[in-house]
Amino acid sequence: MANDLVLDTAIRDWVLVPLSLVMVLIGVLRHFVSKLLRSTNTPDLKAVKEGQLVVRARYLRAAGNFIPAKAFKSRRSYYNNEENGLLHVPKSQAQNMQAQMFSDPNMAMDMMKKNLSMIIPQTLTFAWVNFFFSGFVAAKIPFPLTQRFRSMLQNGIDLSSVDVSYVSSRSWYFLNLFGLRGFFSLILGEENATDDTQKMMQMGGQMGGFGVDPSKTLTAEKDGLELIQHDWALPKLEQQAESVLRQILSR
Amino acid sequence: MLETTVDEGVGDVVEWLALLRKFKLRRSDKVTIHGCALLSDPSSRKKLGSEVWTVYEQVAIASMDCQCLDISNLCIERLLSKFSNSVRVGRLEGMLYEAKGQWQQAEKKYQNLLELQPADAFIHKRKVAIAKGQGNLSSAVEALKQYLDIFMADHEAWRELAEIYISLQKYNQAAFCYEELIMMDTSNANWHLNYAEVYYTIGGVESLRIAKKYYASAIKLSAGKNLRALYGICLCSAAINQAKGRNKDEESIDLQSLASSVILKEYKEKCPKKLALVTSVLEKQKP
Repeated sequence: MANDLVLDTAIRDWVLVPLSLVMVLIGVLRHFVSKLLRSTNTPDLKAVKEGQLVVRARYLRAAGNFIPAKAFKSRRSYYNNEENGLLHVPKSQAQNMQAQMFSDPNMAMDMMKKNLSMIIPQTLTFAWVNFFFSGFVAAKIPFPLTQRFRSMLQNGIDLSSVDVSYVSSRSWYFLNLFGLRGFFSLILGEENATDDTQKMMQMGGQMGGFGVDPSKTLTAEKDGLELIQHDWALPKLEQQAESVLRQILSR
Repeated sequence: MLETTVDEGVGDVVEWLALLRKFKLRRSDKVTIHGCALLSDPSSRKKLGSEVWTVYEQVAIASMDCQCLDISNLCIERLLSKFSNSVRVGRLEGMLYEAKGQWQQAEKKYQNLLELQPADAFIHKRKVAIAKGQGNLSSAVEALKQYLDIFMADHEAWRELAEIYISLQKYNQAAFCYEELIMMDTSNANWHLNYAEVYYTIGGVESLRIAKKYYASAIKLSAGKNLRALYGICLCSAAINQAKGRNKDEESIDLQSLASSVILKEYKEKCPKKLALVTSVLEKQKP
């Protein structure tokens, strides 16, 4: 019965094609707008210093055995000194940091911008599609599907008698929304701003960044340094050098 | 490959310049020549699109290396007209002052830029370069220290500091820098070798022992190929024996004899003419 449903060519010309076209154009527009809004972030001097400090302390922990015991000890006390060691974070300061991070207006502003460029166009287009094109059967896919696909392909049409292979206009919008990502990366280059999933991931990462506070990594590194034993590796290397030389001579 | 075709005037200059940038090579003379030819031609400039600004920067730096200051002046002016208050162009201006020897102006320029972007490693490094360019090593040390206080995981800066300390004959400080370098890259024989040399220069039995150990590890890491380390072992052992005088020697002198025979073997294979000379030198150090 459903097979003799005939779609008007005007639907193709005035719903299917314009919808896809508008989706593409909005994607391109968003790419350029977000490029415009992207602020250049100047790294914070203190953050840079802390990052580098952790790296250097990690080197000491990993390769401390390669320097003489005296040098190792003096470095450790330089890092871990209770009064003014580099890795030592005073207690009052540790609590402050968290509050400081949240009150940093730059960070919040950045997130806002990213959010806005993502959410606003999506709600607008959805409202637009809903207003003008609700209830159309816009296309037919050339193969049969099971009933389960009904909610995916016929969003907005509450007729159970229509065959599942017909696609409603609102579903076509959703298919475009998620399906055009590959197309965008083709025309706008790999790192385009339209990629929503990536943005979500970034957001998650940033949230994580909020939670971790730098004083914790410093303290963890300090404890790690405190624990390791210095065992000078050089005497062992001397013997190995001997065997290397012997090998050369015996060749 | 590409470079030779570029030299003959048929290769793709743009591609070659991009390659140089990618691998951070510095063929200043050729970059100046070909880059200028490229930039003075309006049609090829148009073809470059927005890449033209990067090429301007590249040519500006290259021509400074060659002391073609009017070329770099021109490039920087073009860049300034496009990006009037960019830090990156500001760096170039500072470098131009440096190249002209106007140290004070360069210093002032960098100071201003640092206020805009305090975490720019490049500008900090330029300040070190200013001090070094004036031949003022101790102020170069100060600037480097300031830099390393922030960017303390930068091994190139540590190396620079070590070399400056050596030329100032501050060996203990240099040793500290080499320790830092050894920790950052434990398998690099050069750092071990340099560290050993610093300790050998400091002198005294304890230092000599340390030096010997690091010479040995340099030998191990270079698989016995480093002649300098082999000689070092011989010299160290000889010096230790001398310092101790008669009451030797719980330490093995194995390493010394092994090292000297490896040296002799090397010379026999590669430079038989000097064998006699080397033999006599090594003989003298034998206990």
